[in-house]
Amino acid sequence: MASQILPLELIDRCIGSRIWVIMKSDREFTGTLLGFDDFVNMVLEDVTEYETTPQGKKKTRLAQTLLNGNNICMLIPGSEGPESDS
Amino acid sequence: MDESTPPPPDIDAYTPPPPPSASTGTPTDFLKGVVGKKVIVRLTSGVDYRGVLSCLDGYMNIALEQTEEHVNGVVTNRYGDAFIRGNNVLYISAAEPL
Repeated sequence: MASQILPLELIDRCIGSRIWVIMKSDREFTGTLLGFDDFVNMVLEDVTEYETTPQGKKKTRLAQTLLNGNNICMLIPGSEGPESDS
Repeated sequence: MDESTPPPPDIDAYTPPPPPSASTGTPTDFLKGVVGKKVIVRLTSGVDYRGVLSCLDGYMNIALEQTEEHVNGVVTNRYGDAFIRGNNVLYISAAEPL
């Protein structure tokens, strides 16, 4: 088990690359990960926020952003988010 | 003193600590960089508060100046000073270049 890697180590390896963040609610973010802390509060750059509403998906562009870790559900490294082909 | 004399080797080998910068990327560094700048604070309810970030703490409690309350992109209120309790904060975003 020499190659065991902890979950937060995985996120640490994503610093500098694109990441897709899915919240507990109908909200998603994509951006370049600049850093994070023990609470998984995340600093992202060149961010797009996707909000799923009954009226459809709403997109918001943001500059450098500190995302509160309290409502984060899932992280997908290296993804361009809901608009990617995969 | 000869101007072309190289510095002594012990000074040459000394590596100064990296300069303090707001770009190392952790949440704390980001917050140090945005205090005093215009920010957008979005609450989990979806309401936005735009204003100058005067101070904040580890709970993400926030004090804003010249605050505008935006609901669905429309300004609904203006406050000189506003305090936001941290548990409601979804994100803090820089509204001007850092």
